[in-house]
Amino acid sequence: MTDTVIQVRNISKSFGTVHAVRDLSFSVAAASCFGFLGPNGAGKTTMMKMLYGRSRFEGAGTMDIFGFDPRREELAIKFLSGVVPQEDNLDDELDVTQNLWIYSKFYRLSAVTARQRIAELLEFMELSEKSHANIRELSGGMKRRLVIARALLNQPRLLILDEPTTGLDPQVRHLIWDKLRQLKKQGTTILLTTHYMEEAFALCDELIIMDRGKAILEGPPRRLLRDQIERYVLEVVEGEIAAALSRSALPSGVRADTVQNDLRLFADDIEVLRKLTEQFHSDHFHLRQTNLEDVFLKATGRRLHETQ
Amino acid sequence: MRPSESVPYPPLAWRLYSVWYRHMRVYTRNLFSNGLPPFLEPLIFLAGVGLGLGQFIGTMDGVPYIEFLGVGLLVTAGMWTASFECTYGTFIRMEFEKVYDGMLAAPITARDLIVGELIWAGTKGIFFTFAVLVVFLILALFGYRVIPLPQALLTPLFGFLVGLMFGTMSMFVTSFVKVINHFNFYFTGLLSPMFFFSGVVFPLSQLPRSLQWVAELVPLTHPTRLVRGLCSGRYDWILLADLAYILAFIAVMGLLAVRRLQKRMIR
Repeated sequence: MTDTVIQVRNISKSFGTVHAVRDLSFSVAAASCFGFLGPNGAGKTTMMKMLYGRSRFEGAGTMDIFGFDPRREELAIKFLSGVVPQEDNLDDELDVTQNLWIYSKFYRLSAVTARQRIAELLEFMELSEKSHANIRELSGGMKRRLVIARALLNQPRLLILDEPTTGLDPQVRHLIWDKLRQLKKQGTTILLTTHYMEEAFALCDELIIMDRGKAILEGPPRRLLRDQIERYVLEVVEGEIAAALSRSALPSGVRADTVQNDLRLFADDIEVLRKLTEQFHSDHFHLRQTNLEDVFLKATGRRLHETQ
Repeated sequence: MRPSESVPYPPLAWRLYSVWYRHMRVYTRNLFSNGLPPFLEPLIFLAGVGLGLGQFIGTMDGVPYIEFLGVGLLVTAGMWTASFECTYGTFIRMEFEKVYDGMLAAPITARDLIVGELIWAGTKGIFFTFAVLVVFLILALFGYRVIPLPQALLTPLFGFLVGLMFGTMSMFVTSFVKVINHFNFYFTGLLSPMFFFSGVVFPLSQLPRSLQWVAELVPLTHPTRLVRGLCSGRYDWILLADLAYILAFIAVMGLLAVRRLQKRMIR
């Protein structure tokens, strides 16, 4: 039986006439990784901010984080949590170590503990060589790792990451994933937002797919993949073939999804799709297993919203 | 789910200190470029206005003009630094550098952050007043008497109050500002006129009677009169009223600034 450390019930939040979050409920088990997936403007960041009192929720909803209510006990929650905001916000005027040093004061670490912790974290995030570098000399990936190190200063029980790897190269992304898995193994509960499906798939035990403030799908990634979408997809990107195909009658068990010239045919039986490809005389198609991105696009729609 | 142990987050005084410490560390990191101008500015001002113009004026309000102006500059140093810190400084940290996004994720409330920053503005008021004082003391060593001694040695303490006054007012203004250029209105429209019409450059008694009451409402008038009173040794009951005005101003403006800026940070 695992412990529930976060319990969120019927939370709503609006900014003027915009409903950022609508009636969201979820709970997070200790030492698990919980993900929020959704297009830009889905309400992911707002949801995260409400957890540590940076944004206030209204109405009848309740939140319980380690037994604390963010409306009244934000300090306790913040003390137990580390936050990695969407944008890196390091102090450019200070060097790497000094950036962490200043934050050690916010948590009231003793000088000895702080020095030790900073050395450990720089080592953990593979930044030891940069300990006295200026922030301006750091690459995007290094800055991100430093922000994560900063969030870990007080050995948080909960780590909140808002799009931790957006804009980073694959090497750095995999390094960060690896570190997050290590932290989870050590007992840290992780909450993250992302719009990278592989990231959600690689890290999350549970996830919520959000769109326009609402939870659309919820569950472990593998189960979503199993329950919510056919097993295979045939992508046809050549306009003429796509047009011809969408005019013709499709075999049973095939579902079509078209956006402009991009046609996708979904089926559980790969042979049915393979047969369709034989009439193409072209290799402008791609037959593959479906992934979380297909689930996501099916759930949120493939067209852009006004908020994106 | 409630943890059996209480969470040992830092107490209020420490939280304010940690915010202050952050600003102090960032400021002193570039000590040369940040710390030199406050020493040069009064020199330039004294040379340009005090020496040049002073030769034509002779005495003002019973003291040599350079001394009249010198005492005034001990007051305005704190005003300018706190005003810049809590307008452009605060705005850039809030909107451009996103410094607060990180700080507000640490165990610090928005109110802690704002009050800590105001205390920092007061500290800068002390430092900048002290810088002006040091310049005048050096001039005194060379025989140029700019300020009355030893009374003027106490002025940096008033720099703290001046820093708080203009820090709170500037933060209140910042809470309305959406575009950084709008601070121009505040500096050109309010602070610059105040510099000239609050008894810093010439005594209030020179103003037309109908305008004198306006000067009495303006914040800079009160620390200026207080510091002049202290420096000249002419103690008067009105100085107590000035002190009361200063404290009330800080309290009211501080409350307004915290309220409004807090709403902007926690939405």
